[in-house]
Amino acid sequence: MASVEIQNVEKHYGGFHALKDISLTVDEGEFIVMVGPSGCGKSTLLKTIAGLETVTSGQLKIKGRDVTHLEPGDRGIAMVFQSYALYPHMTVEENMGFGLRMAKRPKAEIDAAVARAAQILRLEEQLRKYPKQLSGGQRQRVAIGRAITRSPDVFLFDEPLSNLDAALRTQMRVELSTLHARLGSTMIYVTHDQVEAMTMASRIVVLNGGRIEQVGAPLDLYTNPVNLFVAGFLGAPRMNFVAAKVSSANGNSATVVCGDNLKIDFDDLVETPAAGSSVTVGIRPERLRIGDPDAGNSFPARVNLTEYLGRETIVYADAGSLSTSGSDSGTGVFTIQIGDIQPFAPDTAITVGFDAGAAYLFDSNGKTLSATKPVTKI
Amino acid sequence: MMRLWRRHRHWLAPTLFILPGALLFGIVIILASVQTIWVSFFDWDGVGPMQWVGLANYEQLAEDPQFYVSLKNNVIWLGMFMLAPPLGLALALLLNQAIAGMKFLKSMFFVPLVLASVTVGVVFTWVYDPTFGLLSLIYGWFGATAPALLSDEHLVSFAVVIAALWPQVAFCLVLFLAGLNNLNEDLIGAGRVDGARGSAMLLHVVLPQLREVSFIALAVTVIGALRSFDMVAVMTSGGPFGSSTVLAYQMYEQSIFSYRFGYGAAIATVLFAIMAAFIAWYLRTLLRPEQETA
Amino acid sequence: MYPRPIPETNRSARAAYVTLVTAVLVLWLLPLVTVMLTSLRSFEEVMAGNYWGWPKSFNLVENYTAVFKQTALARYFANSLIITLPSVLGVLILSTLTGYVLSRHRFPGNRLVFALFVGGNFLPAQIMMIPVRDLMVGIGLYDTFFALIIFHTAFQTGFATLFMRNFIAALPDELFQAARAEGASPWQTLWHVVVPLIRPALAALAILTFTFVWNDYFWAIVLTQSDAVKPVTAGLNNLRGEWVSAWNLVAAATIMVAIPPVAMFFLMQRHFIAGLTMGAVKG
Repeated sequence: MASVEIQNVEKHYGGFHALKDISLTVDEGEFIVMVGPSGCGKSTLLKTIAGLETVTSGQLKIKGRDVTHLEPGDRGIAMVFQSYALYPHMTVEENMGFGLRMAKRPKAEIDAAVARAAQILRLEEQLRKYPKQLSGGQRQRVAIGRAITRSPDVFLFDEPLSNLDAALRTQMRVELSTLHARLGSTMIYVTHDQVEAMTMASRIVVLNGGRIEQVGAPLDLYTNPVNLFVAGFLGAPRMNFVAAKVSSANGNSATVVCGDNLKIDFDDLVETPAAGSSVTVGIRPERLRIGDPDAGNSFPARVNLTEYLGRETIVYADAGSLSTSGSDSGTGVFTIQIGDIQPFAPDTAITVGFDAGAAYLFDSNGKTLSATKPVTKI
Repeated sequence: MMRLWRRHRHWLAPTLFILPGALLFGIVIILASVQTIWVSFFDWDGVGPMQWVGLANYEQLAEDPQFYVSLKNNVIWLGMFMLAPPLGLALALLLNQAIAGMKFLKSMFFVPLVLASVTVGVVFTWVYDPTFGLLSLIYGWFGATAPALLSDEHLVSFAVVIAALWPQVAFCLVLFLAGLNNLNEDLIGAGRVDGARGSAMLLHVVLPQLREVSFIALAVTVIGALRSFDMVAVMTSGGPFGSSTVLAYQMYEQSIFSYRFGYGAAIATVLFAIMAAFIAWYLRTLLRPEQETA
Repeated sequence: MYPRPIPETNRSARAAYVTLVTAVLVLWLLPLVTVMLTSLRSFEEVMAGNYWGWPKSFNLVENYTAVFKQTALARYFANSLIITLPSVLGVLILSTLTGYVLSRHRFPGNRLVFALFVGGNFLPAQIMMIPVRDLMVGIGLYDTFFALIIFHTAFQTGFATLFMRNFIAALPDELFQAARAEGASPWQTLWHVVVPLIRPALAALAILTFTFVWNDYFWAIVLTQSDAVKPVTAGLNNLRGEWVSAWNLVAAATIMVAIPPVAMFFLMQRHFIAGLTMGAVKG
């Protein structure tokens, strides 16, 4: 049975259209991560599921029950807030038991639930303390513990790790994934951090401008983005995008020209663009190679800057008239990611090559035209 | 000279800055207050020589029935003023809605706060007038005759306090509205997710966040109740037959009308002693949070 | 928000709510409204006992001109302004200086001085009445504007210092470090860094002090006697005695006395509320 069903949800704030026809079905036990740029509506969507925001139209079901007009406390959800939202005047114990207390559960049951949550989250020592006596990571765990004690049908997380430092964030990420595996509950998680999305999600929901762009397993989304937005949003460093013109189109094959004379052939297109139309070619930084004139496609470039990250090397290369758009560096240079340490002095002339099969083709509306690529199954 | 100034200006300049304010406040307010305590040990008509009488003024006060009337009335003021914070909170809860026009309505609710106490006194003398006041009109609807509140020695203090509550409630309203504005949205959200609503939400989630504001409202109300003077002076002049005096008014009356400055000073000192406890309590709480962070 | 906002989509509930609040407001301000109504009636009507019926004639202009022409109200008004404005100015200057020093300079006794300013502000007026009156008589200022100006400036400096100190203390430390690094003297720091940044606080303090001083009654009757010096609050109480039966005129005078602080409040409402809550709440 579906755990959460969102049907045609719309949300207006005065004149602002925050959520546009959102429909999504979440299965029992799934870990759904909603990502998108700030203002894309991901937090609003989470709050409508929680019941903290009302919907303008549409329907929400949890475990088959219509909860559209129910109070948050009656929806069978629990939520972990970005600010943790721990009640400062209550001890850890009281914070975690508050929901059950409001539901007028017997004291023994509350104590048992709190003890269990405390044990799962290793908070036994902190039960009598107040939130202000705890570290950031402990507060985070209390917030999660508060959710666990309610044994909800669905856990909702609103950017729960964004207030933690980098090391703690990684630790909590692992802890949350472990918790999900242990509890097997449905979880819906909002973040702007794509590493969290890629590592934790069973499925990722990419939102943009109040609309769902794409839903799918992390690697599916990474390998086969349905449009230019998703292609650009997932993956760091970002995909290189180059403007191109269709020089010839034939059946489901097409040849496009980037810049002055870089020709790329695309086969098995999902949809064939008209000859002469404007398109965008995309290629991920890790799919570009340096010094391989034999590759199917190559172009000359000059090294601008090299970043040595140890495990990998990022080269920013200027290809003259062949310039990219919307790159991380804010300039028209290409980003090339190499899997080991290779020295490239600035101003070195290089040849950049790639396989045509690694490139993506998007039409002028951003829709992906290139053939679906095989996804490595885990 | 210039060099001397440059070398010492890091402490000379601040000293010069603080001096005018500190001297003026120190002499006119602090020193004067201490002097009053000194005066309370003398017999003095305000003009002639002062004569040391030791604790005689206080002994006399202890036997003065009027003193106990004042004290009793101060307790009535204090007790009834305790209604101001809850009433202010209730009004704030009523007004804390973001609807077009609400802003203007809120401001209108604040109006009693900026009125002079003389104005409030005059307005309420009107309300209580047994022949043409608002109260007589209301009693008239029920075919009853309004009591002359301000000439009834048992009711007069209550009537004056009700008038004084009007601006005091408005003051608490302002404080609580500000407090409600600063509520942590996420905490309210967490409370809703936890199933707290209505009074449970108010009690467990909202009020704990209003603790600081409630404290201020309470403290300012207590101090306001004990300081009450204007309303008594304007509405009843302590009457009828001295039944509505408070310590502050009795002190004024004894000094200005009866030229018993030593006795007045003793009353002021007693009032100060009562208030000092509250002021100290307020100051301690007010200054404490900084010590924690310092 | 608490209580829960009434949804924007529920137009009728919102309209009903505003109506309810308006009704409560009318009850809340009813005492003032009746005074306003009386101030519109003619003397004959008041004498005839028509206090509640619809006014037979509207004597708005007549009553309000009469109150200025036939009584000393105009004089009282001028007195109040002559007392209030210099007091406000004095308080702003003194409290900026004291607040700046107490918030930005550490010296032994800093906290004690601050506590005295704050504590003195809560003292009952009677505890300082006799010596202050004596002092003013002694230096020949009793029953002059200066007596009230000096007292109000001194007393209000207590609250204003609390206010200014907290406001300046909340300014970022880096600003003062930067000013020192650039070699600014304490005076230059005050004038070029602090004063431009505390304009909102000055505005809030100005309106608050104006209201406090304008509305004072106790010191008005303790330190003044003659009509030439008396401010409106004491004056109004006098008028009430003199014009016992001319309720319409007393009502008009009452409204006139209320207008300046109410007008100031509406003109600078944001500053007033911010000042009142910051002064009290931030502590």
